Amino acid sequence: MLTGVSFDVRPGEAVALIGPNGAGKSTLLAGLIGTAAHAAERWVVPDRADIGLLPQTSTADLDFPVTLEDVVLMGRTARLGMRWPGRADRRIARDAIELVGLGPQRRTRFGALSGGQRQRGLLARALAGEPRLVLLDEPFNGLDRASRDALLGVIERLKAEGVALLITTHDLDLARAACERTLLVNGEQVAFDETACVLTLEQVERTFAAHAIEIDGHTLATTEHHASEHAEHHGLGQHEAHGAPAAPAERPGAASDAAR
Amino acid sequence: MIDIVGPFALPFLQRPLLLLLVLAVAAATVGLLVNLRRLEFIGDGLTHAVFPGLVIGFVIAGEPGLLPGALVAAVLAALALTAVERRGTGGETGIAILLTSFFSVGVVIVSTRSDYAGQLQELFFGRLLTITDAQLGWSAAIVALAVALVALGWRQQVFRAFDPAGAEAAGLRTLRLDLVANIAVGLFVVAAASSVGVLLVLAVLIVPAAAARGVTGRIGAAALVALVFAAVTGWLGLAVSFHLSVELGVDAAPGATVATLMVAAYLLVLGAGALVRRAGSARSRAGVAAGTAAA
Repeated sequence: MLTGVSFDVRPGEAVALIGPNGAGKSTLLAGLIGTAAHAAERWVVPDRADIGLLPQTSTADLDFPVTLEDVVLMGRTARLGMRWPGRADRRIARDAIELVGLGPQRRTRFGALSGGQRQRGLLARALAGEPRLVLLDEPFNGLDRASRDALLGVIERLKAEGVALLITTHDLDLARAACERTLLVNGEQVAFDETACVLTLEQVERTFAAHAIEIDGHTLATTEHHASEHAEHHGLGQHEAHGAPAAPAERPGAASDAAR
Repeated sequence: MIDIVGPFALPFLQRPLLLLLVLAVAAATVGLLVNLRRLEFIGDGLTHAVFPGLVIGFVIAGEPGLLPGALVAAVLAALALTAVERRGTGGETGIAILLTSFFSVGVVIVSTRSDYAGQLQELFFGRLLTITDAQLGWSAAIVALAVALVALGWRQQVFRAFDPAGAEAAGLRTLRLDLVANIAVGLFVVAAASSVGVLLVLAVLIVPAAAARGVTGRIGAAALVALVFAAVTGWLGLAVSFHLSVELGVDAAPGATVATLMVAAYLLVLGAGALVRRAGSARSRAGVAAGTAAA
């Protein structure tokens, strides 16, 4: 449940969606792809086929007999309908695999990839649909330094291509590094503006209650992402994502407008 | 030695062979989807649910009532199973209760007939060798419909089987896909139940795909292996069954003989697959050892 939210995402821009666990971030993303109900007064979102989602937790069957390329090609399904993928679709899938840096693993069985590689593979699947709006749900959780840098590179590339991004994260440094604007939520909207203006000690403290800490006067961090990684191990992260469709009507005042 | 070609010059053996080949196509498509989705339990459930349909159809219209009765029961059961499945937690309990009730109603009805023991046997074990041209035609048509339902949305079905939430998020209509899959399984069960019997439908539906999954890592290859596996075991099963009854005077149920052969071949294929994999890993270990020695 999330109320009183009013924001937009411009083409070529990344917006950080920040808030404590249970603040309604995943529910908002579910609303954007149409799997959770909303009662917004103004609600402009691209077609479902124009939205790519990287979920926080995946329900992918790791025993499934598919290669990375097969999985990424699934990202074309919404565009293809009943048709079978052609040469152009394969090229798009291959480009997406190259973009996330998994070229050498193209023919590897998906379940045999490492956790970080699977995450990048699912990102490539989302990008294979040639989305105009990309939703990344906690994409930096559990990534090592190299994967983080690679992901930041992908985000920059997408922005340069005019794709709009909405990224949930607990990591304020990453929000500063990758996102022009930030939407701070906790059941309702706390702030929405340029990232540097939003992420002040006062606002973050208000949102995260006791979880905000100030380090040496100018670095601001939350302890929340540790909690969320911990929760994921116990399946709580999944609960948040799965609870979304059942959530009652949220109420973002006006919404993401990547269609402009 | 068992003659595996000669007997099939006889028309009464050609029809069951043809039916088993048609069922092999379904095993490679509908059966493979059941395997990928891990829907074996639903398949089992549908065989139970079809049984009262067969019985009621038979009681109302005799022999010609079998197929329509089974069809109605299969579609109703597919709808009910999809609804129960959607409810999530507790679904398995719901399915089990639903099926026990279907099955007991069928037994109650059939037991009111004076000659029910013979009829039960026929419904359970099928009439593979006494199938008529008309029955063969109907079964083939129903199987074709089931295969078409699954094949048309194959890529979407595979996506949904691989990653349910991902497919939902990508905008696939998963409820419709589930309904189509369950109805296709129901149709397959109907087509096979009236010939190989309610109890042996599962063998044809599940074993070929399971064997194929055991030896290949790609979906396309698995479909091909399942097709060949089901066709060859069906053919051999019929030949063995004919040999037993003609040469040795042992009247073994042909449907059950086919099923037994399928399971035996499945174990054989799994064993061979394990051996090949072990040889492969031994080779790669040897390679690593050689590499270390060279360095």
